[in-house]
Amino acid sequence: MSSSDPNKLISKADKLTKLSLTRWSADWKSATLLYEQAANGFRVSKDYEKAKLAFEKASKGQEMLASPWDAAKHMESAAALAKELRNWTEVIDFYRRASELYMQCDRPQPASDSLAKAARALEDALPDDAVQLYTDACVILEDDGKEQMAFDLYRAAASVYVKLEKFTDAATFLLRLGLAADKCNARNSQCKVYLSAIIVYLYAHDLKQAEKCYNDCSQIDAFLRSDQNRCASKLLSAYTEGDVEEIKRVAQSSTISNLDNVIIKLARKLPTGDVAELKEEAAKGEEEALDENDLT
Amino acid sequence: MTVIDILFRVDEICKKYDKYDPEKQREANAFLDDAFARLYSLVEADIEKALAVRFLFSYPFLFLFSFQTLIFQINYWNKMQKSDKVSTEKNRAAAVALSAEIRRIKARLMEEVPKLQKLAKKKVKGLSKEDHETRFDMVLALPDRIKAIPDGSTAAASESGGWGTSSSNKKIKFDSSEERFGSDFYQQTEESDQFRQEYEMRKMKQDEGLDVISEGLDTLKNIALDMNEEIDRQVPLMDEIETKVDKTTSDIRKNNVRLKKTITQIRSSRNFCIDIILLCIILGIAFYLYNALK
Repeated sequence: MSSSDPNKLISKADKLTKLSLTRWSADWKSATLLYEQAANGFRVSKDYEKAKLAFEKASKGQEMLASPWDAAKHMESAAALAKELRNWTEVIDFYRRASELYMQCDRPQPASDSLAKAARALEDALPDDAVQLYTDACVILEDDGKEQMAFDLYRAAASVYVKLEKFTDAATFLLRLGLAADKCNARNSQCKVYLSAIIVYLYAHDLKQAEKCYNDCSQIDAFLRSDQNRCASKLLSAYTEGDVEEIKRVAQSSTISNLDNVIIKLARKLPTGDVAELKEEAAKGEEEALDENDLT
Repeated sequence: MTVIDILFRVDEICKKYDKYDPEKQREANAFLDDAFARLYSLVEADIEKALAVRFLFSYPFLFLFSFQTLIFQINYWNKMQKSDKVSTEKNRAAAVALSAEIRRIKARLMEEVPKLQKLAKKKVKGLSKEDHETRFDMVLALPDRIKAIPDGSTAAASESGGWGTSSSNKKIKFDSSEERFGSDFYQQTEESDQFRQEYEMRKMKQDEGLDVISEGLDTLKNIALDMNEEIDRQVPLMDEIETKVDKTTSDIRKNNVRLKKTITQIRSSRNFCIDIILLCIILGIAFYLYNALK
């Protein structure tokens, strides 16, 4: 049966499912079987469009047969083929459908996995959608209480934001990662994430925000006692001093080299802009405060 | 009677009859008449003693030699100031004490010198004019000789001619000891300078090595912490796997039991016997029919 032309199989299966005068109820079982065979045949012959179609139909058949797991699996295959065809909207649709089916099976992990796969596929083409998908995947995992799996997803989402140059969003994501790490008692990841957030703020040339972030993070005991804390304080003091050499030296240190690749690239590019001007700003702020005091 | 005994006896006898020795009497008389000569001979004896003491300290084993060789050695040793210094470094405390002793003797001798000078000026009968002048010269030479007695402070100065730094009053001991530290100290820093340099170089190299090690350790620490977190992540997954596998094994066991029951039911021995009996009956009937037809 499998050696016969997949097209014929498809037409046969269609006939089985189509309701007409002679057929009162569709025979999904055999139809699904035929659809699967046809899809495999198409995939082997690299006819992606038809294979995708066949997988869709097979998935529908499985749904009818009340096995969402198999349905979801077929949906995923269909989505992978759609990725080959670079049909991004379809990719999104298929992966979402698959994740929903997985949730029906009460299996949140594969659900988030499929969303993550979708996001990864879309990183280059539609980054905003990719980020959205990452967020949804993380939400699923967090609901399930499996934050540890979410680390990678958060990291990937943050790197996408950095690529888009949306630094505040990236930093926010990193802080959410920190929160997840805190829940899992993953001290090292937490501290690394906080340091990365500070670096991102500094790269965005936002010293005040960076300092605020640093103050917030210092509230956390684990961060306060870590190497990353020392590195962050060195970096911030170098910035307030306006010492470019010191900044470069800290950026070369091993603590920063242990962070994510994207963050390392940012750190190496520090300092952006004019550090002296930052120093002046800070000094001016202090002077103004003094003047006020004098007046009173 | 041994030779030693004879020698001692002879010495005793000579001493007893010294007063009859004409040469010695002459000398003694000469000295008695001449206060200068007497004083001078005393001063000389003291100088020699000081030198000998100094020398004795450096080379204690030479104490056994005769007086002549002693003098010769003293003169030789006066030229060998440098080597003396090395040996004195070994027993510094004793050297300090001895030097103090020598300085005391020197001070006393210096006091005697003006007296000698006065006596030299006086006219003594029985002495020629040349002798008189030589006496004066000898007195003048005395202070030099006294000062030349090394007591630890004149070592560096003796190279330049024996005067040098000992111009200050020898009675005040502080100055000379400071000078002595000054000269010794300087020599030491030349050696220790090199040593210090080497030490600094080695320390720098060690620092570099330690830096490399610390970086490596940092990386190791990071890797270890990441591994730790990864394993922590795997723990709940393993728990899930465990429960699922447990459930599966219990399912399989249940199924096995049921299967076994069904099979035994099908292949029970009772059925088997019934099958055989029936088979025999059929064969019997067939045989009977065959016989009947034949």
